[in-house]
Amino acid sequence: MFEQIFDTALFDSATRAMIPILLAALGGMICERAGVFQIALEGIMLAGAFAAVAGSYLALNSGVGVMFGVAAGMLISLALAYGTVTRKGDSIVLGIALNLLAMGLTGFLLPQLFDVRGVFQHARIDGLDRIAIPGLSQIPWVGPVLFDNTILTYVALLLVPALWVFLFRTPIGLRLRGVGERPLAAETLGVSPTVYKYGAVLTSGALAGMAGAQLSLGNVVQFAENMSSGRGWVAVVAVMLGRAHPAGVLAAAALFALAEALGFRFQGNGLPVQVTDALPFVVTLIALIAARKRFARLLDLTTSA
Amino acid sequence: MPRKVLEELQDLSRRALVSPVTFSLLFAFALAASIVAVTGGNPLAAGEEMFTGAVTGSGLRNTLGRAIPIVGMALAVSVAFRSGIINLGGEGQMVIGGLAGTIVAIYVPGPGFLIVPLAMFTGAVVGALWALLPAYGQTRLQLPILITSLLLNYVARAITGFLVRFPLADVSVTLATTRQVPETTRMPKMPLFGGVSLSLILVILMVVGLWLVYSRTVMGYETQMAGFNMRSARYGGIDVEQRTVQVMMVAGAIGGLIGTHLIIGEALRFIDGELVLSGFAWTGLLVSLLAVNRPIPIFVTGLFFSGLQIGGLAMQRNAGVSWRLSQVLQAVVIVAVACRLVIRRRDRRPSQPVDAETAGVGEV
Repeated sequence: MFEQIFDTALFDSATRAMIPILLAALGGMICERAGVFQIALEGIMLAGAFAAVAGSYLALNSGVGVMFGVAAGMLISLALAYGTVTRKGDSIVLGIALNLLAMGLTGFLLPQLFDVRGVFQHARIDGLDRIAIPGLSQIPWVGPVLFDNTILTYVALLLVPALWVFLFRTPIGLRLRGVGERPLAAETLGVSPTVYKYGAVLTSGALAGMAGAQLSLGNVVQFAENMSSGRGWVAVVAVMLGRAHPAGVLAAAALFALAEALGFRFQGNGLPVQVTDALPFVVTLIALIAARKRFARLLDLTTSA
Repeated sequence: MPRKVLEELQDLSRRALVSPVTFSLLFAFALAASIVAVTGGNPLAAGEEMFTGAVTGSGLRNTLGRAIPIVGMALAVSVAFRSGIINLGGEGQMVIGGLAGTIVAIYVPGPGFLIVPLAMFTGAVVGALWALLPAYGQTRLQLPILITSLLLNYVARAITGFLVRFPLADVSVTLATTRQVPETTRMPKMPLFGGVSLSLILVILMVVGLWLVYSRTVMGYETQMAGFNMRSARYGGIDVEQRTVQVMMVAGAIGGLIGTHLIIGEALRFIDGELVLSGFAWTGLLVSLLAVNRPIPIFVTGLFFSGLQIGGLAMQRNAGVSWRLSQVLQAVVIVAVACRLVIRRRDRRPSQPVDAETAGVGEV
């Protein structure tokens, strides 16, 4: 029974489920470190997924698609950065409104540009190829699970150590954390919070847009309305659970992805799809309860504000 | 009371001229028009269809009908936001409560004049109980309501999806749906503009009731104080935890009422995913933000957003421009307001940090 469930195929689908969450959560992590509460990830991911499909359709090239996805993500996050940093608006209100904007805009553009409703599939849409890394992909178990994937998978996995080095071992990372933790002190030392916060929010937009591209060009080759279906929110939770640390965020993203993959597997074993769909969210809630008392700052931010 | 209402309306129109809301609306319409133009439509024709569709023919009736859930869900949001509680779980509360009320309307035998109120009551109670989960999550486990209430939306979708697909399924149709609500236990329609649901009265009563509670009672004052600053409210002797639980239950109850109305008054079947797709919880949230959580402005704004959507549907039929443009418009208005876009900024409190303002409310 156990081997029947936990096989290579399960971990393979877990990896695929993890990458979009991980990319978005790493973006959210950078914002958190810079002191910006980023809850627009869900909408940015959705917009990225749409733009990636649109770009790939127009150029018949998945690379162009990814660039479109990243650009769309940065565009939405620019609105967030302008609103929260320049205009000192409420990041929660802006985040919610931008999520709804992305939902409306993709729902509007889908029939308007491609004359379809619900799901957009087309032979012109070039999906991201799986690239097997010579040698590494031959390793039993780990190889096919980790080293036979889309380019964005490798980007996401490499970003985990890279962002750790960036945040904790480079002067720019130190300043970024300074801006988040002690904005006044940072400013006194000549570090502009505005520049760093803009940088963080735009980076998160690029990463969440890339997450969307992985969803619509990597995991499947199509755009479906609301296809981010809560993954952006799971990414927000992954930042909280992972304490905005790259390794923690990776672990949290892996946990949710495993839940999603398990749900998928149980579905194959006859469990109703409604039950298995809820699994990642239930696991997320349980993980939150298990790791509670870490959220004093966020609770402060969202209640007594 | 009518004089007070009149004064509030007068005050509203006076401030409207200098309000950032006005500018945000203009900005949103301009942006929407450009989007239509860029995607190959005619913005003027689309705008005309939108306007005539919202107020002429059956448009007026539909606008009033759709205002019921939009204003209702906005009230639910406002109750929480006013107290600084960021309840994003309106959708789940509406869906779970709505299904519970529907079950009563379908399966409990009895005369309509008893069963309809019982169904609404059940919807409210179950919606309130669902809202208790994130409330206790925050007061007992220190989990932010913002996150838990939102995640529970997906759980609510799954639970209702499962129930209507299996135990409650109507096997005679291919849709995943409950049976139809019997004719005797449907929410009656009033002979107004050709049939507006009786629930409109309920929503108007809630608007007036909340307005009275906010402006005239200690409880209204206390919840608002908690919204302004939770720590000082606690210091002032207000039991913030208890208030959080109460407020969430009221918000959930309103959500459950609206959910039940949407089935026994409109759709007549609980079809899997339909309530979620309607997006009323989220439209209501935007309405409440734009109206800064005040009941009477919520009613006006709710009517306006409802008109935008009904007009949008007419625009889709007649001008070939997707009604989803209405959603874009609504979200852009809020983004613009949240960015505090104004023509000439009045910096009344320039040194005031943002977080001194009620979370989710903002001085607009």
